[in-house]
Amino acid sequence: MTVAIKGAGITKSYGKRRALDGFDIEVPEYAITAILGPNGAGKSTFMRMLTGMVEPDSGTLTVLGERPSWQNNRRISYLPDRARWYQGHTVEKAIEWGARLLPEFRKDEAWELAGSLGLEADLETEGMSKGQEARLMLALCLAREVPLLILDEPFSGIDMLSREKIVAALIDSFSTRRQTVLICTHEIAETESLFDHAVFVNDGRTALAGSVEDLRAERGSMQDIYRRIYG
Amino acid sequence: MNEIRVGGMRFALDLSQPLYEQVLEQVRSSIAKGEIALGEKIPSVREMAQALKINPNTVMRAYQELERDQLTETRRGQGTFITTDADKVSHIRHRLAEEAVEEFLARMSSLGFTAADIANILRAKGGEG
Repeated sequence: MTVAIKGAGITKSYGKRRALDGFDIEVPEYAITAILGPNGAGKSTFMRMLTGMVEPDSGTLTVLGERPSWQNNRRISYLPDRARWYQGHTVEKAIEWGARLLPEFRKDEAWELAGSLGLEADLETEGMSKGQEARLMLALCLAREVPLLILDEPFSGIDMLSREKIVAALIDSFSTRRQTVLICTHEIAETESLFDHAVFVNDGRTALAGSVEDLRAERGSMQDIYRRIYG
Repeated sequence: MNEIRVGGMRFALDLSQPLYEQVLEQVRSSIAKGEIALGEKIPSVREMAQALKINPNTVMRAYQELERDQLTETRRGQGTFITTDADKVSHIRHRLAEEAVEEFLARMSSLGFTAADIANILRAKGGEG
């Protein structure tokens, strides 16, 4: 197994609170890996470290063989947990913006994705539903031909139909290109069938990690395991 | 567990068991039951993953196993097809029958029935045994 992301003994404290407490992780290349755990488990802190937004207090972390940095970020397509748009933007303008600013952005693919995700060109970003925002962000992320795709809570708080469209777009994208995908989520009911590899985070550490198919054979569904760890 | 139809094939996946084995078994039994005909084209990895809403790697792994068993063959640029060899299908049917009987025998023996008891029950039920 070749590893795309490797972290060892990572710690990070905010004041007295330890967000990560000796966190170890290995994310295999060309697979879909899920980081699972409830809010406050340390997932978001780790996600921010991948792009260099947060520095570990101690421990080591490599992403695509390098230490996180803004230079490395051109090889990463990152879907943030919250959307921010320019004022007066539409789907069309957001795609234009992506084509000008995002490295390895494929405009024709972005349009294709927008179509399959049910987004009209003149839809204004102001006043979009959470589901529409998530779909537009995903279109911009999937339109980039980069080795690593990171999705931070792509399913949280969005409607069922948006969720289904997002799952379908992810399956299509993953079928057609060799890419490492990392998804951080606390919603696993409808998404666990997408994962190759799972990492359960609890109190800033890895509680359990492994191939999802092996975990199923040994311990049952990801939902069952989740209940046992956090219930 | 919802039943999903993909072409003539039926699938019902249980997330508490390895999915690759289930996809493999369910395609195999579709072939054995004739839900999908000899020489018929099967959905691409992408189509199957999309229909079942599962990871394409999982479908790929099941398809590779089918190919290893020579139940399917991939033709360059055309897709993957069920074998045209009827012997291979009858072999699979035979194997599934054996598995079903083994399961049945194991259950009967766990209930405390002997081979003679089982034969009697089968005769009484089936009549022509």
